[in-house]
Amino acid sequence: MFAGGSAVGVLFTPAPWRLITDTALWSENWPGIPAPPRGEIRARFTNCSLCTAGCAVRARCVGDQPVELAGVAGHPLSRGVLCPFGIVGHHLPFLPARLQSGPVPQAAAAVADGIAKCGPAEFVATLDLRPGRTASWTYRRAMKAIPNGRYLAPSAYTQAAVDLSKARTVLSFGVPVLDGWGTPGNVIAARAGFRLIQVEAVESRTASMADRWLRVRPGSGDALAQALAGRIPHSAAADATGLTIPEIDALANELEQSGPVLVLGSSQLASTGGTVVARRDTPVPDEWNQSAPVTELASLPDRSIRVLLIDESMPGGYLSWNTIAHKLVADNPVVVTFASSREGYARHANYALPVAVYPEVAADIPTAIDSVAAAFRISAPLVAPPPGTVSPEAFVAAAARLAIGDTLRERADAIHKSARGTLFTPADGKSQAVKNVTADDFWKALNAGGCWIDQPAAKATAARLTFAALAQQPVEEAELPLAIVLARELAPGLPLLSKVYQESNLRLAPGRVALHPACGLEDGSRAVFETLLGKCAAGVTLDPGIPPGIVLVSASPALLDLSGDGARAKVVRA
Amino acid sequence: MTSANKPVRAARYGMTIDVDRCNGCGACMVACAVENNVPPAHEGATDRKGLTWIRVYKVDNGAEYPDRRTAFVPVMCQHCGNETPCVHVCPQQAVDIDPATGVVGEMPQRCLGCRYCMAACPYHARYFNWWDPAWPAGMEKSLNPGVSSRMRGVVEKCNFCHGRWHAAKEAAAAAGKPATEPVDYTPACVEACPAGAIHFGDLNDPASVVAKEAAETASFRLLEKLNTQPKIYYRSRKDWVRQIAAAPRPGAEKEKYRG
Repeated sequence: MFAGGSAVGVLFTPAPWRLITDTALWSENWPGIPAPPRGEIRARFTNCSLCTAGCAVRARCVGDQPVELAGVAGHPLSRGVLCPFGIVGHHLPFLPARLQSGPVPQAAAAVADGIAKCGPAEFVATLDLRPGRTASWTYRRAMKAIPNGRYLAPSAYTQAAVDLSKARTVLSFGVPVLDGWGTPGNVIAARAGFRLIQVEAVESRTASMADRWLRVRPGSGDALAQALAGRIPHSAAADATGLTIPEIDALANELEQSGPVLVLGSSQLASTGGTVVARRDTPVPDEWNQSAPVTELASLPDRSIRVLLIDESMPGGYLSWNTIAHKLVADNPVVVTFASSREGYARHANYALPVAVYPEVAADIPTAIDSVAAAFRISAPLVAPPPGTVSPEAFVAAAARLAIGDTLRERADAIHKSARGTLFTPADGKSQAVKNVTADDFWKALNAGGCWIDQPAAKATAARLTFAALAQQPVEEAELPLAIVLARELAPGLPLLSKVYQESNLRLAPGRVALHPACGLEDGSRAVFETLLGKCAAGVTLDPGIPPGIVLVSASPALLDLSGDGARAKVVRA
Repeated sequence: MTSANKPVRAARYGMTIDVDRCNGCGACMVACAVENNVPPAHEGATDRKGLTWIRVYKVDNGAEYPDRRTAFVPVMCQHCGNETPCVHVCPQQAVDIDPATGVVGEMPQRCLGCRYCMAACPYHARYFNWWDPAWPAGMEKSLNPGVSSRMRGVVEKCNFCHGRWHAAKEAAAAAGKPATEPVDYTPACVEACPAGAIHFGDLNDPASVVAKEAAETASFRLLEKLNTQPKIYYRSRKDWVRQIAAAPRPGAEKEKYRG
């Protein structure tokens, strides 16, 4: 009786209720929750090699493991900014789809055999998707050492640079100026100084933030550029683009009165006022200049490449496999790709060899398009690469029997020898003249996230930007009713980028296409995406912001192989 | 009088967000997830079931081209300062307001997952862990040691990067500064914003940038008619953006771009 009374009495005290309130405290050590690492916390500096912006990075590390990346305030090029991709760059080594191993000896033997069998009208080629690096110079030297060797790079490769600080108007034909183009920190810093006119078929992120968005028909930007250049009448451009003649007249007047004008995305119209200049290249050792020139893939005859080595270890441009496949010999070509996953050319290559990724590997970053002075930055490794990875540079050099040393150091020494420019060190945020630094200190500073910036040329030489023109195959609209527009989204795959495309509506997810709701398909369904080049399954997103007659394609390799801007497609129920 | 019994000078941490500068890149969302050990999306996660302590909504003025205008509005916990709805409804006392900072805090260890707070929050700024948190193999090594991860079945939300605040307090104490004074620190989203659209600071300090910006005429808060006194101030020169601030939830309800 007493015990029962006590039990009831206790219920009227706060004690049991307090215990219940905090019951969940006992589950705090639930084994499913991962324990974050422990260790000394320190800051290390490097440069992001995920694109040519090469933004400076301050990595917060626990022990040797980076746990958080941020920009470096006061950096003269990147100005303390990192894009969303750069913020999670330290997660790249953990990609579930990462290529773990590859048949390296077999690939080396096949390449040697292919080089030996290469006929007089056939080629051994290296396709470099990120030209301008030190590794690119090794490829060029290696291709020079091989009879019939060719060094291939995307046609957009150029030493022309844009000077955003001089532009008062930027006329962009579909270039994602405000969404990762150039050096994001530099673009944002210059943004207040220019008026942005975006010519684009759909309302991209840049179009939505532009001062003026001109909605044109897909693939008709060049017609507008030609009209503005006075080569075709405005009425013809109006027919092609869907704009009105008064709109084109007004645009022409505006460009005339609001110069200097920087034109991006079209070679049909020249920029004015010194907004595009020729940039001096980063110095290299003298002997490197005796190397193979840059060749465009399109200039090689069809069925002429016997051995093709593709370096896709660094994110860069993408050429559709269809374009490449036409250039390979018909009988047993050897295609080796150096890749971090099977999503790109590894789907087609004979041998896919795994590579180290950022931030595991030391690599330099070519100068960004919006930097008027050459720059040299090294993405200093923060963690060790896993066993089994291959250095593409060493593999290609070995295939050509080219003896190479520490090429990054050799190039750094050549830059130091030139005694040009300044060295920025992120740890103290200071710049000093290179001529005041010893070669060893210069090298150490570069490996600690430093950045060399060339001194501006005494007189800037005007230059012209080139843009690759896509060859469009004629096709009946009735057969393929949708015009393709490529969504230049962030590179897919990084786990936390799911925040922006799966757990919110901010961006179009990889492997998806977006259409107007009147297309007859259901939102969230799977469909077959079909062009003249083939078919591919894709997820469907319905978006009233997409004009009817257009399919917005997320730029994943599988979809890029089938399409380009302005091509035509149909999307049917799966 | 020693510093131990000095009266605490209460801070009122808050943010100003310049909507006209936000280009919707999503850097704040990603940086927040890195800082606070928010796991990547589960396969079944959607924009309704995902975990995004800060979420950027794309909004438009409803007009057709060429009059269509778009803006990006980052929305996180608004840290309501008056009649905070989530605090009132929590049966577990798992939500409270720190009187020293004004930050609305969430204690996931106390949360029993009833989600009353989610229903009560007028800003849709609270998120529920529908699945066990999971990272790709090996990625646990890259978690932030300053923040513990949460388990399935609890609600979580923005806490103005409590881990960073704690580190700043420790650093201030180590430097001999009185514990009663507010500390300066920068939340991850503010640090990551490439456009410099987000500012953070003490709204009680009239010299702070946020206090000055919050007092500007272009400044507004979401759902001001509710009088919850949020500490997130938005700024825009566009009337239509300010009108959207009065709507219950910015942006489309549909799961448009899910993977």
